[in-house]
Parts: sequence; C-alpha cells; structure tokens
Amino acid sequence: MKSYSPLITLLLAYLIMIAIGQSIPGMWQPVMLVIFYIAIGQALNVFLGMTGYVNFGYVALLGVGAYGMGVALGYYNELGLIPTLILGFILAAILALLVSAIVGGIALRLRGAYFAIATIGVNEGIKYLIMGAKIWGGSEGIVLSGILRKSFGAETMRFLSTTFADAGVIVVAIATGVVTAYILNSRLGYALIALREDEEAAKVMGINVTKYKQIAFMISCVLAGLIGATAWTLKLTYVFPQDVFAINYTVEAIVIVMLGGAGTLLGPLVGGLIYALLKYYLAIAFPGLQLLILAPLLIVVILLFPEGVVGYIAKKARGTRLENFVR
Amino acid sequence: MAFVEQLIANLLYGAILGAVYGLATMGLSLIFGVLRIVNVGHGAFIMIGAFTAYWMFTLYGISPVLSLPLAMAAGMIIGVAVYLVVVKRLVDAPELATLLAMFAIGIFIEEAAKQIWGANYVGYSWEIGSISLPFTEIPYTKLVAFISSILIAAAVYVWFRKTKLGKAVRAVVEDREGALTCGIDVNKIYALSFSLGIGLTVLSGVLVTLFTPVGINAYMGGEYTLKAFVIAVLGGLASPWGAFYAGFIFGLIENGSYTLLGLIPGVEPFGLTRFVSFVVLMLVLLLKPTGLLGGE
Repeated sequence: MKSYSPLITLLLAYLIMIAIGQSIPGMWQPVMLVIFYIAIGQALNVFLGMTGYVNFGYVALLGVGAYGMGVALGYYNELGLIPTLILGFILAAILALLVSAIVGGIALRLRGAYFAIATIGVNEGIKYLIMGAKIWGGSEGIVLSGILRKSFGAETMRFLSTTFADAGVIVVAIATGVVTAYILNSRLGYALIALREDEEAAKVMGINVTKYKQIAFMISCVLAGLIGATAWTLKLTYVFPQDVFAINYTVEAIVIVMLGGAGTLLGPLVGGLIYALLKYYLAIAFPGLQLLILAPLLIVVILLFPEGVVGYIAKKARGTRLENFVR
Repeated sequence: MAFVEQLIANLLYGAILGAVYGLATMGLSLIFGVLRIVNVGHGAFIMIGAFTAYWMFTLYGISPVLSLPLAMAAGMIIGVAVYLVVVKRLVDAPELATLLAMFAIGIFIEEAAKQIWGANYVGYSWEIGSISLPFTEIPYTKLVAFISSILIAAAVYVWFRKTKLGKAVRAVVEDREGALTCGIDVNKIYALSFSLGIGLTVLSGVLVTLFTPVGINAYMGGEYTLKAFVIAVLGGLASPWGAFYAGFIFGLIENGSYTLLGLIPGVEPFGLTRFVSFVVLMLVLLLKPTGLLGGE
C-alpha cells in the first residue's frame, strides 16, 4: 500500500495558504499562525498519532529547541551569521534529541500509563531546572534583539525575525509532513501501527516495540525542537522560560491531532486549519477563554469522533477515486 | 551545628507535610487501582479543595477542620458528575482516550476556576499558636493537618477492610470479571470509587492550604499533580496505602533536598526542588517501576 499521493494534497494546501497570505493584505499573519499549528500538530502526530502514547511534556521539546537556537544566537554569535544559525539548528536538534533519549529510554520500556505519567514532569522539570539553577539567564531568559542588532545590524535582524523565520517555519512544517508520509510508508510505520493496535501481539510477531516507540518519539521531539527554534526564537527574538514551557501548546497540539485524526497524514493539516482559524477569530471575540472552550471541545471529540475529521472522511472515501489522496 | 539542626527541623517538617501528600495521593491511586484510569487532572481537584477552605474561612470564619466534610461531600458530588458525563463512556476505551479526557477535565476546571475566582494568588491565616521544640517551632495548624491526614487515611482503611462496600471495591480491584460473577454491580463500584477518589483529593486540598498560606490560585494544582504522580509511582500506582506511605518518603526527600540544595551557592533551591521531584520520578521508573513497596 505504498502511497505518497496524500502528500500532494498536503503540499497543495501549503501552496494555496502561502499564495493567500502573500496576495491578500493582512492575511500573512493568520496564515503563519495556521502553518505553525499544523506543524506542531504534525510533529506530535508522529508519536501520539502513530503509537497511541501520550506525551504530556510535548511543549518542553519546543522549549529546549527554542533554547538551542537562543543559546547559539546569544552566546556564540561571534562565529558569523550563517555558522551561528547552523549551530542554532544543530543545538536545537541535539537538546531535543537528548531530552527525548533520556525520557524515552527510561519511560518507553513501560506501558502507556507509566509513560504518560513520566512525561507530565518533563516540562515542569526542565523549566525549574533552568530557572532554579539559573542556567542560560534563569528566569530572565535570553533577550536577543539587542545582541542581534549589535552583532549583525538592524537590517539583518529584521530579515531574520521576519522573512527568514517564516520561511524556516514553512520548511520545517513541510519537512514534518514529508517525514510523516515516509514513516507511514516504511517498515517503521507498519511496526508503529501494529503496536498501536495491539502491543502484545506486535511483540509476539517479533517487532521490537521499545525500539520503534523510541525512534518515533525521538523523531517527533527533534521536529518539535526545530519548530521551537524557528517559530519562537528566530521570530520573537527572545526566549523566556515561562513562555516556551507554557502547557497550553501541549493541549493545543493534542487537540489538533485528535480533531484532525490521529495517525493520519492530513489530520494535523485539517485539525490545525480548523483550530488556528477558530483561535484567531475567537481570541478577538473571547480573549483569554481559549482553553475554557478548547477543553470541552477535546472531550467532545474524544467521546463522539475518536477517529477525527480525516479519519472519518478516509473511512467514507474508501473504495472511491479519492481514496489515495486522503490519509 | 546549625546546619544539622536545620536539616532535622526540615525533615520533621517533611514528615508532617508528607502525611498530607500521602492523603492527597490516595484518591489518585484508588481511581487507578479500580478503574485503571490515570487522573492526569488530579491537581485541579486539589485546587477546588483549597478554594473551599479559603472561602469557608474568609466568608464564614469556619475553620479548615470543619471544612473537611464539606470538601469531601463537594468532591464526591463532582466526582459522580464527572463519572456520569465523561468517564462512564470511556471505561473500556483505549488508554489514549481516558488520558486525554482527564487532562481536558483538569484544564476545564482550572480555567473555570480562573474565570470565577480570578487569577490572583489568595490566602488566609488561621492562627492557633505553635508548639516549641528545642530546634524549631511547629504551628498547631500543621499538626492538625498531620493528625487529620492520619485519621482520615485510617478511616478509609477501616472502611475498605470492614464494610461490605469496601470489600466489593477490593474485589473489583482484584478481579473485575470475578467480581461481576459474584453479583457485584461493577458499574456502581466504579462510580463509587471514582467519586470517593475525587472526594479524598478535594478534601486533601483543604489540608494543603495549611502549608501554603498565600498560595491559593486556579493553577496551584499543577505542582501537586506532579508530586502526586511521583508519590503514586513510589507507592506502586494502584495501592492507596502504598501511596500514603510513599507520601512520607517523598516529604522527607523533598525537604531534605531543599536543605541540601540551599548549600549550593548561586542557585534557587525552591525551583530546583521541583526538578528533584522529576528526577526522583524518573529514577523510580528506571529502577523499580512497580513501586518501592513491592508489586501491584
């Protein structure tokens, strides 16, 4: 059942969104918000959607990714612009890889509930380590705007925090989609789906479930780290521990995955689109009430549409010509 | 030997606080033991208890001790409501669904509390004097919390051992199908255990306020969710008694490490103590996932 056709749908959707954002004035900001939410949904989906395991510490990976880029730009900017940026991406990926290797290595040997419990502490644990031990500025965080202006000039800084950051988010978003499509068509994907449906049976069939769970977890976490590096550090030019470890992003990513359809390629796209537009216009109508609206929405989705929008459509499309483009 | 005295004082304080921690975790373990559902929204229910104590005290001058039965009743009502509306439909659903649903319920309660009671930290002070020891002073309020915790845990224990309903709950924990064939209404036991678990959690929130004089806030629960999970895993996750004992151990670890971390210059020991909780959790999961006190 090798099929990359749904990827066409995904790339087309990105193209249309970028075209809308570029041509209609005032639409670029909501379009970037949508793409950011699709990306965080997509990266979480690689793990949560495919294994059925919940990562309650998801935002911590975006956070350490943001710190990776922040540390490179803040402390190693004498290397020159491009080496510093490369270092930033590498540090973001390595920090995310490190956290996911440790947490996953310990907790993924255990079954779902224990893993979920272990991840609950990740976010708070890392946040308080940084604040308590006063690492990288502690509670004050890293403020980059002054440093960047001094080392690279105001013009470059503006370019970095606008065009470059947006392009970075788009590239990472597309990359998460491509990675998801690749996994769905690979041995890894088949193993993950098998273990999601029945972990015992998968084990008996000779699948090394711990290994595959760990790989999926680390991929998901590194992608999240790269999103944090581009969408937060580059775009906002600061890293504050209270902001980058804010639990609402974990909730938002979970809502997007569940709404769109866990384990599907297009789920996060649909979920992110619905969610981000809802959020953008609800935030204007009901400021500060997003989580109050979101939490019951998540419960309703779990109770009534456990397979999500894309899961539902894919079921309906089975046997029709559209089948190959919805997944 | 100021340091040793300080360490002893902090450990004593840790043991007192540990009893409350233990009680605050029993509900979590009870719900997991009976329904196999992890209440990831645990802290939100502690917050409800804390606000109950706060409003009873500031509005009517009712002492926190007298708020305990009220909090228990309120918690049980909330527990039954949550069970009937959400949990009942998810008992046989995949783990993913129940985890996310409990998470969403916790967030909903916190956000609702923020809308109703505001986002500011509030508190009250209940002054009833203190007892002087050679190296430290312990307020009577904390002793009251300590003794109440032990008495309530003992009452729950007796209820489980001696009453028919308590035995039915233990039977369901042991073997759900077996209990069903013996004529036990498993659905009723689920509803009862869930509401009892939430009731105990809300009740413990009242006692928690005796340790955080100005720390009552809609989001205060997050910290206790993490602590409760560390304690529950230490105690074997499915055993309320294990959880109660593990509460003591955790209280000692937390306050002992706070004292030791205070020795390191240039760090902020309060924040790092929370990191220590996380490290303890990971270590227990790594070394002995079935809990320090044996298997499930």
